[in-house]
Amino acid sequence: MTDSVIRLQGVRKSYRLGKVEVPALGGIDLEIESGEFGALAGPSGSGKTTLLNLIGCLDKPTAGRLFLDGLDITDSSLDKLADIRGSKIGFIFQTFNLIPVLSAFENVEYPLLLGGVGRKERHERVNEWLDNVGLAPQANQRPDQLSGGQRQRVAIARAMVSRPVLVLADEPTANLDSETAAQILDLLHRINRETSVTFLFATHDPAIISRAHRRIRLRDGHIAADERNHQLTGGVVHAS
Amino acid sequence: MLAKIAFRNIFRNRRRSLITLLVLVMGATGMILFGGYKEMNFWGLRETTIRNRLGHLQIYRQGYLTADSQKPLEYGLDDIGQIRTEVEKDPRVAMTAAQITFMGLISNGEKSETFLGTAVEPTKDRQMRSQRLETGRELNDGEMDTIMLGRGLARSMNVKLGDYLTLMTTTVTGSLNGMDFRVVGTFMTGVKEYDDRAIKVPLSGAYYLLNTKKIEKLLVMLKQTEDTEAVMADVKLMAASRNWPLEMRTWSDLATFYHQVVLIFNGIFGFIGTIVFVIVVLSVANTIMMNIFERTREIGTLMAIGTKRKRIWTLFLLEGAMLGLIGGILGLIAGAIIGQLINYANIQLPPPPGYTAGYALRILLRPGILMSSFALSLVTATLSSIYPAFKASRLNIVDALGHI
Repeated sequence: MTDSVIRLQGVRKSYRLGKVEVPALGGIDLEIESGEFGALAGPSGSGKTTLLNLIGCLDKPTAGRLFLDGLDITDSSLDKLADIRGSKIGFIFQTFNLIPVLSAFENVEYPLLLGGVGRKERHERVNEWLDNVGLAPQANQRPDQLSGGQRQRVAIARAMVSRPVLVLADEPTANLDSETAAQILDLLHRINRETSVTFLFATHDPAIISRAHRRIRLRDGHIAADERNHQLTGGVVHAS
Repeated sequence: MLAKIAFRNIFRNRRRSLITLLVLVMGATGMILFGGYKEMNFWGLRETTIRNRLGHLQIYRQGYLTADSQKPLEYGLDDIGQIRTEVEKDPRVAMTAAQITFMGLISNGEKSETFLGTAVEPTKDRQMRSQRLETGRELNDGEMDTIMLGRGLARSMNVKLGDYLTLMTTTVTGSLNGMDFRVVGTFMTGVKEYDDRAIKVPLSGAYYLLNTKKIEKLLVMLKQTEDTEAVMADVKLMAASRNWPLEMRTWSDLATFYHQVVLIFNGIFGFIGTIVFVIVVLSVANTIMMNIFERTREIGTLMAIGTKRKRIWTLFLLEGAMLGLIGGILGLIAGAIIGQLINYANIQLPPPPGYTAGYALRILLRPGILMSSFALSLVTATLSSIYPAFKASRLNIVDALGHI
C-alpha cells in the first residue's frame, strides 16, 4: 500500500442560500492513495465538484479535516492554500481555462514562474511537457489558434509542469468530441502510468469512469459507493 | 509575466482600450495646452509688469516705504551715482534706471485733466521697452521740455505733435509750479486706465518742475528674472557694508495685479484639472471593471493555479498604470504637436478686460507642464484601478471559475 495523497475526515460543506443552509457534502471520509487514477461519479448536484474544490484547496470545508500529502490544510490561510495549489496540485478544467493572451509555451510556463523556477530549468521543463503532450510545434500559438483537443493538451502540460502530487480534472472531456476525448484520456492515462501522479476526475463520462482504477460514486453529498476496478488494479471491491 | 499579461490585455478589447486611451490623451493634451497657455500668460504678464513699470528691483531711501511723507520726494535718493556704479558691477544686472512718479494737472489752455507722470532717463526707458510708441517719437537724452502722452490722454486733450501743454504740480517745498512741455509722441501700454492718464517726461524736466535734484527710486533691471531674490540679497549686503540708508522691494512685492491674475488662473486650472481627473478616473475605472467582469473566470483560473491575491491586484493595477503610461506618452506627443501648431498659426486673441490691444495665442511648452500632464495621466489611471483591482483580488475562486 502506498501513502495517501488525500485524506478527508468527516468533511462537511454547506452553502448559505439566503437564510437557508443548504448541505452540499455531509460527513465525507475518504482516502486517495498516491498514483491512483480515480473518478468521482454521480448525478448533477451530487457534490462531485464541491468535493473536488475542497480537495483542490479552492474552497474550505464547513466541518471536518482535510489532509493533503500528509499535511493538515484545513485551517491554512488563503495565501498558504495558493502556495499549496501552485506546488502540489494541477488543475484541468472542462473549458480548458487557458490564459488567452499567453502562448501555449507561456501558459505552461506560468506556474513555474509563480514557483520561482530559474529560466533555464523553466524552459527545459516547459519544452519537455509540450513535447510530452505532442504540442511542441504549436508552442508559440495562442489558445484561440488551437483546437479544443490542443487546448486541453496545453492545460494538461500546465497542470503537470510544476510536478504536482495530485491532478484534479473537472469534466476534462465534456467539451471535446468523442475521438479527441479518447485521445485526451489516453494521454492522461499514460501520464499517470509514467509519473505515478495521482489523478482524480469529477465526471459523467462513462469512458473515464470505465478506465478509472477507482470509482467513487456520490449521491446527495454522500459517498454511495467506492469501488476499485481490479481488472485494472486486481478486482472490484465495494467499499460502502 | 504579470506585466506581459497586463500589456497584452490592453490590446485584447481594442475598441474599449482605444476609447479609454482617447480620454487619457485628451486629458493630458488639454492640460498641456491650457497649462502652456497659462504659463505663457504668467510669463508675459510678469515680464510686461517688470518692464513697463516696476523693474526687477526698486531701491529707495530708508523710510520711503514706511514713513508718512508730507511733501513730494521727502524720502528721495540724493546721490545715486555711487549706488548705481556698485549695483551695475553685478554681472546679473542689465542696467539701472532712475525714476520719479508724480501727479498733477495737465492743461492745453482750454481743458485740464489730472495726470500720472513718470520722469525717466530717456535712453534707459527706451531700453526697458516699457511702452509701444503710437505716434511721433520717444524722448531723447538732453531734452528737458518734451513730453509723451498715453493714447487716451492725448485723445482727451485733443493734441497734435508739436503742441505745448502745461503741467502743474507741487514742488518738493510744497509750492505749486507749472511748466510748458512740447508733445513729441503718444504711447500705449495696453492698460486703458493707465493710458488715459499717463505722461512721460525726461528726468531733467521733472527736476525743474519739482524743483529738486532727487530721484524717487532706482529701478534695477536684471538679465534674468529668476535672479531677483539673489541680487536683492547681495545689494542689501552691499548697502549695509557701506552704511547707505537704503531699502528695496522686488517686482513680486509690488506686482499685486500679477499675483491676483496668477491666483485666478491657478484656480481655474485647478478646477479644470479636477474635472479632467474625475473623467479619467471614471473612464479608466469603468474599463478595468469591465475587464474584470469579462475575465472573472480567467481570474479564477489564475488563482486556482496558485496566483496569490496580491498578484491579481498587481495585475489589474498594472493594466491601469500601462493605460495611463501609453495615454500619457500619446498625450505628451499630441499636446506638444498641437501646442506648436497653435504657436505657428499665430492666432490673435481679443484684448483682455481693461486692455486695449489684443495678443497672439501662445502655448509655452515648459518641461514642468509636460511632465505634470504625463504624471496626471499615469497617476490617475493607476489610482482609478486600485478599487477594481482590489475587487478582483477578493473574488471567490469557486464562484469565479463558475462565472459565465
